[in-house]
Amino acid sequence: MRFTQALLLLAAGAAQAASSWSFDDASVSVAAKKGSDAIKEKFSQKAPLTKPVGLGSTDTVKVILTAKEDGKAKRPHQAFVTIKEQETGLEAPFPLTVKDTGKAVVSISQKDLPVQFLLSTKPLKASVVIGSFGEARAVNTPVFDIELETDPNAPVPKYEAPLRYGKKPEIHHIFRADPQSPPKVISLFFTLAVAATVPALFISWLLLGANVNHLTKALGAAPLSHVTFFGSIVAMEGVFFMYYTSWNLFQVLPVAGVVGVITVLSGTKALGEVQSRRLANER
Amino acid sequence: MRTLLSFLLLALASVVAAISTSGNRLLVVLDDVADKATYSKFFADLAEREFKITYETPKSDSLNLFNLGERTYDHVLFLPVHTKGLGPNLTPMTLLDFVNAQGNILLALSANTTTPTSLVSLLSELDITLPTDRNSLVVDHFNYDITSAADSHHVLLLPAPKPVRAGIKDFFSEDAGSKLIAFPRGVGAVLGNGELLNPILRAPPTAYSYNPKEQAEVVDDLFAAGQQLSLVSTVQARNNARVTVVGSAEMLQDKWFDASVTKLDGKPVVQTFNREFAKRVSGWTFQEIGVLKVNWVEHHLEEEGAPNDSNPEMYRVKNNVSYTISLAEYAWDHWIGFNVPESDQVQLEFSMLSPFHRLNLKEESRRLAAVHYHTVFTIPDQHGIFNFKVNYKRPLLSNIEEKNTVSVRHMAHDEWPRSYAISGAWPWIAGIGATVSGFLGFVALWMYSAPVAAKKVTVKKTQ
Repeated sequence: MRFTQALLLLAAGAAQAASSWSFDDASVSVAAKKGSDAIKEKFSQKAPLTKPVGLGSTDTVKVILTAKEDGKAKRPHQAFVTIKEQETGLEAPFPLTVKDTGKAVVSISQKDLPVQFLLSTKPLKASVVIGSFGEARAVNTPVFDIELETDPNAPVPKYEAPLRYGKKPEIHHIFRADPQSPPKVISLFFTLAVAATVPALFISWLLLGANVNHLTKALGAAPLSHVTFFGSIVAMEGVFFMYYTSWNLFQVLPVAGVVGVITVLSGTKALGEVQSRRLANER
Repeated sequence: MRTLLSFLLLALASVVAAISTSGNRLLVVLDDVADKATYSKFFADLAEREFKITYETPKSDSLNLFNLGERTYDHVLFLPVHTKGLGPNLTPMTLLDFVNAQGNILLALSANTTTPTSLVSLLSELDITLPTDRNSLVVDHFNYDITSAADSHHVLLLPAPKPVRAGIKDFFSEDAGSKLIAFPRGVGAVLGNGELLNPILRAPPTAYSYNPKEQAEVVDDLFAAGQQLSLVSTVQARNNARVTVVGSAEMLQDKWFDASVTKLDGKPVVQTFNREFAKRVSGWTFQEIGVLKVNWVEHHLEEEGAPNDSNPEMYRVKNNVSYTISLAEYAWDHWIGFNVPESDQVQLEFSMLSPFHRLNLKEESRRLAAVHYHTVFTIPDQHGIFNFKVNYKRPLLSNIEEKNTVSVRHMAHDEWPRSYAISGAWPWIAGIGATVSGFLGFVALWMYSAPVAAKKVTVKKTQ
């Protein structure tokens, strides 16, 4: 059973192989617009061209062939020169004008090509497809390559790829740079320079004769007032420190108010005592 | 006992059921109610999927797509009719209104009958171009069926189609094996360049379309050839209504379901894939597959020690935010989790007027009828009203557009780093300290100091 099946298939294949389309007397020529001499190159089904055919912006490629079925020239239903662009796989068919005798011819220039072809960087591949109804096997063979020669002066043809739904490139927001401080060394240097002014000030005062000789006298005359007055001045600085570190304004203002009142009330007495020393020519 | 019986019946019914997401009222428009017999398997498959089918001829008076402003049918299936027009109830405008009302249309054409002008107008409105002479046939002298079209080559044999681009979900080529799709005596169309049009089945590169009446000898004016010919074309409108054009009505007939075909140079005898392909094409058109749904969207603040209640209305610049969206897909009769196709991504856009972030969402976890897609990102350093936008529109899938609006506020005055933490501020803080200590020292000195006696300079008396 298998043997007869295989034999039948072989016979069918052999019968098929017997009748098929082919083409002969095929040539491709490139003619410039001015009608100068065309460069004609012959090719055949078994021998495609190895060198690419150059097509300039005003040139026309002309393909001539004779279609044959089983060696006899005949007119096929389908006779196309299909040009394929390698990067995207896009194909464009160019039907050959075929006479009853089987002679076929087609002319292709750059303006006939789809705009996507003109933007391609690789050569275009041309194939000949010949087929028709009936049992004869159709043929589809690559025959030559086309290299487009673009005119450097002409503008590049515009092609906008159509919108297609798909994922878009990722965007990550670039943040503004955080505010930066200068190097810590510089900050430390200037901090120390500023901090060094404090002992410099006290030392220069000492050299000029600073003293707290009247402290015992003042405390003897009005101890509470002086302690309270000086304490309230220090306390005010303390309120400012608390405002810097943790308190908000609504916590600071009442305390500052209280401390201020204490300063005024104790200050009258304390500064009155200082006045008394001044009037006694001790200052 | 009765409750048990009814439960069992319900379970049995739900096993067999396959319900479309957009209703089950199907209208079939055909020439002659006797045509039903040639498509009996196709209609039996549709009836098994719980469609309530009404058969009408185009000229019948009772045919009405709308009643009092509402659609009377959810889906329409057109088989080839021999009349030139489709009657006053199926004008192109009515059919477009039907699509705008989210009705789905499946059109089957044939090379044996001239396509009615109203259908050609409808298709040209959707940017699907049929040959102008309305009489055309697709042939391929390389991929035809030897057993039935050895001479005429008008029965094309094609492998089950893979998606035309990477990233598109594959609905039609699963489990095809070596089976081929037979496309007998069909019409090819050329699709426009819009993003809503997608071919499902394209002709092989060697195929072409010609007019058998006028171009029997030679093809002088070629309509289209190769992969530009779309044999099964689809349009999905922005409201998710679907229109499918099947170039060959004969491929839906009984004799091509499970037929045996032989391709030139192919395996000796191959079964046709037509029955399964017809099921999938009608399933896609009638919203049984390829329908997506958003179950929920959740976003919250992802910072240590901060409250993370779901979907707050306000964030702050440079907060870390986590976003999760749960997607489901309908597969014939139940919802399953949606798996993004290979090389495709669901993307989240965090945008004000234009996207500040466009991030790929990664699959985080799966549930019974949901897949969660998730990402964590940092809010840009721009305040304003922002949207979390997932805009997932893909060929052959229904549209997903989820927008959640949030406000993004500035840093509050107490959210900046303190000055003692800023090294550049140290000299200034030292200055304040120096001023305070100098002031206190001065007060103490002024109040409690005694004057220094001036050094008595003894003046040498001159004698």
